[in-house]
Amino acid sequence: MIRIIPRLDIKGPNVVKGVNLEGMRVVGRPELFAPHYYDEGADELLFMDTVASLYGRNTLDEIVHRTAERMFVPLTVSGGIRSVQDIRGVLRAGADKVAMNTAAIANPRLVAEGAEHFGSQCIVLSIEARRLPGGRYECLTDGGRERTGKDAIEWAEEAAGLGAGEILATSVDNEGTGRGFDLELTRLISERVGVPVIASGGAGCAEHVRDVVLIGKADAVCIASILHYGCLEAMKNVAYAEEGNTDFLKKKIPVSSRSAHNRRGIQPIRLAELKQSLADWGIEVRRTEREAA
Amino acid sequence: MKPVMIVDYGLGNLGSVARAVRFLGAEPVISGDPALLLDAERVILPGVGAFGVAMENLKRLDLVAPLKQYAASDRPLLGICLGMQLFMEESTEGDLHAGLGLIPGRVVRLQEERQRGIKVPHIGWSGLEPDGREWSGTVLDGLHPGDALYFVHSYYVQPRNDGDILACTTYGDARFCSVIARGALVGCQAHPEKSSGPGLKVLGNFLDVHQH
Amino acid sequence: MAEFQRGNLDRQFLTLPEEVKFCKKCVISNQRPRIVFDEEGVCSACRNADYKEQVDWKKRELELEQLLDKHRRNDGYWDVLVPASGGKDSGFVAHELKHKWGMNPLTVTWTPMLYTDIGRTNWQGFVDSGFTNLFCAPNGDLQRKMARLCFEELGDAFHVFVLGQVHYPIWIAQKFGIPLVFYGENGAVEYAGDPQLADKPYMAPEDWNTRLLKGCSLDELVAYGKANKDYFAGADVRGSDLLFYGAPPMEEIKRAGIRKYYYSYYHKWVPQENYYYAAEHTGLKPNPERSEGTYSKYASLDDRLDGMHYWMGFIKFGFGRATQDASHEVRDGHITREEAVALVNRYDGEFPRKYYRDFLDFLGISEEHFHQVADSWRRPNIWTKQDGEWALRRRVE
Repeated sequence: MIRIIPRLDIKGPNVVKGVNLEGMRVVGRPELFAPHYYDEGADELLFMDTVASLYGRNTLDEIVHRTAERMFVPLTVSGGIRSVQDIRGVLRAGADKVAMNTAAIANPRLVAEGAEHFGSQCIVLSIEARRLPGGRYECLTDGGRERTGKDAIEWAEEAAGLGAGEILATSVDNEGTGRGFDLELTRLISERVGVPVIASGGAGCAEHVRDVVLIGKADAVCIASILHYGCLEAMKNVAYAEEGNTDFLKKKIPVSSRSAHNRRGIQPIRLAELKQSLADWGIEVRRTEREAA
Repeated sequence: MKPVMIVDYGLGNLGSVARAVRFLGAEPVISGDPALLLDAERVILPGVGAFGVAMENLKRLDLVAPLKQYAASDRPLLGICLGMQLFMEESTEGDLHAGLGLIPGRVVRLQEERQRGIKVPHIGWSGLEPDGREWSGTVLDGLHPGDALYFVHSYYVQPRNDGDILACTTYGDARFCSVIARGALVGCQAHPEKSSGPGLKVLGNFLDVHQH
Repeated sequence: MAEFQRGNLDRQFLTLPEEVKFCKKCVISNQRPRIVFDEEGVCSACRNADYKEQVDWKKRELELEQLLDKHRRNDGYWDVLVPASGGKDSGFVAHELKHKWGMNPLTVTWTPMLYTDIGRTNWQGFVDSGFTNLFCAPNGDLQRKMARLCFEELGDAFHVFVLGQVHYPIWIAQKFGIPLVFYGENGAVEYAGDPQLADKPYMAPEDWNTRLLKGCSLDELVAYGKANKDYFAGADVRGSDLLFYGAPPMEEIKRAGIRKYYYSYYHKWVPQENYYYAAEHTGLKPNPERSEGTYSKYASLDDRLDGMHYWMGFIKFGFGRATQDASHEVRDGHITREEAVALVNRYDGEFPRKYYRDFLDFLGISEEHFHQVADSWRRPNIWTKQDGEWALRRRVE
């Protein structure tokens, strides 16, 4: 079955959503989204600490702990994991897996050490890639801020060899734009490594998810914008903490549907709808029996 | 509700299992104390990692005999993932290792089929199918054929007696045993503590909790 | 080579306080020209941000509607002029004017001195999203000489770009009969919190020189160049090539009723939200990597010489791009002061290595000359030498 994994980018007390890994627009509290996605059949959850690298601090323990207490699906934490101690701390707080990018590139041995101490199934290698002219993909670090000159496909293979249990591949170019996943990036990595590949970045509609599974050969799909904005459309009052860029919520700007040109745009969707569409297209997904409210 | 002992032998996501047990209303006790084990009324053997290391740890902690004794006394014992694999006679993971020998059979590796997208380890949700035995009254009571649980494993069990198999799961070309049940001994290859509603139902059944 | 001696064309230093202080609420320093710190140690830009929270934006929007109703044309001709780079702010303003307010904008672009790939792509994306654009490039040979002159005598090569950016749209407004000119943010208000301008929807032509142009006129600049610079003295400097660096005659501007309006007066200005808007509507893409000297990827992307402009600001005033960006975000309520301090300490003053060579080549100067000029702009109240290295006397904390 293909896993659908909602991703919550967290800054302080709020979930934020950017475009191309830029911008920290608040969309609501994690307590609003996580349980909702869990009830709707999320196969896993991914929490990303958006500013851990930028400010040099880790802040998700509290929300991880609270989530693990009542949501019983695998929980992955990403952002600012720099050492074996960090991994231990996050797992102890209740996470099942950690995803590492910046620290892993700086010190690939961390991947091996993590796998040795905690098992490969706990270690996800996170890659944020941008497409270069000529078709190669370069790894970025620090939330898509710094270039590394490292080839993404080669690095994926190296990390899998070091013990990474899964690869989370994010297209920085497509992330948040709703123009679709980078199918080429996903496919190249999926064909190169023997571990599951989670595609991330760019979903604008159910068709995009279908395509990244069938063409991109993704084993799991990580989505954010289409779900968060879908959540917002369904809710009357969105709970959010007064911190950060809350102007979007205050103005209640409608997220426009697909614009005529460039086929760009977020088409908000409910998780259950998405799974139904995938099933209709013949893609095996986990279905839940929804309890009557 | 009686306390449930979760065996701590250095390998396993003890916290997750404990959280799920607590959520279901039971009281988890995490411990590696052999004396406690002998005295327990309900035991969960979790496990994540390598078979060889697991058996080494159990031996070092003097838990092997107590576990066999506990199982022989027909008290409820649930093995999760690697924990279930340890019930078997032997595993082919790494060198050939002897297991606890509670269930006749061995542990073998899943076959990778890269071109078809069948990767090892098997990570993700897969459905349980019955294998001739009724599920009602068992640890799978209330589940429907096809209900999915969350798996993370590279090896699977091959029980010699079909009678020990309660459910099977298909992955690639392999149709393997995913749930074992023999008397009070139960094994689940998947992680019920990470499998949402259906998983909690399985755990709840084991804990003898009445679910809505 | 003779030791570099600069003149005194930059008038901004005259009014700056001697002692360096940092705002208690954001992280800007009192060395920013035209900013004012009050008795509580809070800067005027922060006070202005508080004021922004009090503003009745519905009322301002009504004012905008009335203004636009007066200018809107139904004959298919342009009714508003939008100076545009194709970046997030101009993209937002042009698009809203067109689609929300039914106006018919003519956009004009004054070329960056050295286009970046992303800048060019975003300009094209902007135009492709549906705008007619007049693109102007000045005499390149003269521009380089002017850039060098501005670098040496104003500590900012970028100044020559600003001259064109400020004045070119006015010429077009005059030639094409479009008196309504709409800029995005009023920098004097958003970054200096000038209380005199906070309640003004437009900036009067009399104020352009001091607010936008460092208090130095074009004539002064050119005269100084001719008198003191060998690369300028014998150069072919024609009135026609200088035309767009200065304004049309004041009487003509007044007669035509041309005014620079600011969208930030009518709409609560949140640069980050402009980014989202432009990403969605005008095909805006952020910098593929972090902009040098700061942490963001979505602002000021189109000129390779941009980084040096901010770095020279760092030299002249002791604060760089990260300080400005972070301060604005603190005022927007997006980050806390602690976070801002962390960002400043990490990124502020980062040397713009990426396009350093481009800068030297553009100006036609050597590294040695570059450092001599840069160092001549370090004021003793900001900089000190520690173990042979330059260090800021005071850092924000």
